[in-house]
Amino acid sequence: MSTLEKLSEYVEHGKGKEARALTQKLLGDNISANKIVQEGIIKGLDAIGEKFAAFEAFVPELMVAAMAATEALEVLRPKMTHGTLHKTLGTVVIGTVEGDVHDVGKNIVAMMLEGGGFNVVDLGVDVPLAKFLKEVKYHEAQILALSALYTPTRLAMRDIIEALKKEGLRDKISVMIGGAPIDQDFCNLIGADGYAPDAPQAVKLARSLLA
Amino acid sequence: MKDDPIYKDRRYRINELREKNEKMTSRERTLKAINFEEPDRIPIDNWMVPEIKKRCMAYWGCENEEELLAFLGVDVRDNYGPSYVGQEFKKFDDGTVADLWGVRRKIVTYGKGTPHEGTFKEVAWSPLEHMTSVEEINAYKAWPTPDWWDYSKVKAECAYWHPEYFVLNKGDRLDRTAQLKPMMYLRGIQQTFIDLAVNPDIVECIRDHVVNYFLEYNPKVFGAGGDEIDMFMMGDDMGGQRGPLISVDMWRKYFRDAFKKYCDIAHRYGLKVMYHTCGDVYQLIPDFIENGLDCLQSLQPQATNMDIKRLKQEFGKDLSFQGGMDIQQVLPLGTPEDVKKMVQYAAENAKRGGGYIFGTSHNIQADTAMENVVALFEAYHEYGVY
Repeated sequence: MSTLEKLSEYVEHGKGKEARALTQKLLGDNISANKIVQEGIIKGLDAIGEKFAAFEAFVPELMVAAMAATEALEVLRPKMTHGTLHKTLGTVVIGTVEGDVHDVGKNIVAMMLEGGGFNVVDLGVDVPLAKFLKEVKYHEAQILALSALYTPTRLAMRDIIEALKKEGLRDKISVMIGGAPIDQDFCNLIGADGYAPDAPQAVKLARSLLA
Repeated sequence: MKDDPIYKDRRYRINELREKNEKMTSRERTLKAINFEEPDRIPIDNWMVPEIKKRCMAYWGCENEEELLAFLGVDVRDNYGPSYVGQEFKKFDDGTVADLWGVRRKIVTYGKGTPHEGTFKEVAWSPLEHMTSVEEINAYKAWPTPDWWDYSKVKAECAYWHPEYFVLNKGDRLDRTAQLKPMMYLRGIQQTFIDLAVNPDIVECIRDHVVNYFLEYNPKVFGAGGDEIDMFMMGDDMGGQRGPLISVDMWRKYFRDAFKKYCDIAHRYGLKVMYHTCGDVYQLIPDFIENGLDCLQSLQPQATNMDIKRLKQEFGKDLSFQGGMDIQQVLPLGTPEDVKKMVQYAAENAKRGGGYIFGTSHNIQADTAMENVVALFEAYHEYGVY
């Protein structure tokens, strides 16, 4: 098994410490950050995503895999911010909408997007509408990802999309939404660009929105 | 009840249907249903956020909640168990308040300035979150004890509803008999999922503290309540929107034994067991039945695999159900006609042979229009009749 394959296995099985150490070693062996992300980290996350879809893995396993990917990325980050070795797929601003403090699903999505090659700006929970607008502009984000757990709080998503329209930003950004009470009907109702039922599918959706 | 003609008009339909359909008390009706016999109509349970309760009282002209439930024909009355007499729950400068477990909560407002504005109490601080060893967790100073409760009024509080109503001992949301939920509150949800994946010792340690507490507490509650409790309810959230949050193997490894013990204790006191979980738990239902569950609530139709027709066909001989009314899409976003169809569908597919109680998949939320709440209760009485 190649060292990159080993890394993808560590990520898939949520072995953060091992993933971090191996990433360090790969960098030492002059493997590019880009290659480490593509052939190690993303591959591992895609593998756990497939198991999750097939009910062979559940939230705990998905969570630790996403965290292992984050640990490996920590090692790569200094290389990536220089911009020459690794190009991100795009910038995603993500957060849980105002009035809602649930972050577990959102955190897994954020970690998997980052592991999946996106630059992720996580605004946390209970994020006011104005803050989403400000951060989207500041980071020139391509995607805005919104999360909510409750039905009354999800209505804030509609307000954010309306505000993006008013600001003339709607055409410049894709809005993806998720959380327990979100489905395709609600996505259509408020005019978002896509909805994903879980984190692995959110990564696929983000990729397709920028394709 | 307020007498103005406007309220009488609004109450007319429900009163008319009830007069026509009802031939027994709420208690008789619900006991029949959970014992797989057909009563006069499907019993009704009710979960609402306080904002909706208030709107309902205003709409139908009820002076208080008791009047509202009596008018709506709600058959189940909740008993919250003994009275807390332990140390006063500490209030902190940041506005958070500690609960039984030492978990701190804050009030979060949603929908500010909109018609659906409301509040939820959310966990703000989990005391065990940053602990790294079993020793540290065992040394936690605030593990609760059943001695912090006064059980002397349980019997009278339950008896207050008898013989008319069916009394469900359910605790409140924060001290309801459970395993995973208190663990998540104490440790944080994210850390709990991590523990489940990689820290089995910590999972078992916290679980044992929680389980041992309830194994001691519940017999005291049931003993105190005597014959005045009709059913026991426990609850945990094991399901997500598209499947169980954890694998069946993991459930068996960590949660099966205490689930069975909780059921066994209630059965020893002659009580049937209702179990609340959100989400899709289809894969776990055979295990629930095998380990003693009598009634699964509150079926969430938008969750994958939780269609009431299928559940009734596959498990309806061994398990009764409560729920099935969707609060995620139909009630907040649908029309009164959609609401009626939903009630009709559940009634037609779940009522045969008893074993079904009407209920919403969780609290009716503040984003639900009053016309849909009206449609829901009118439809309960229209389609629930046997």
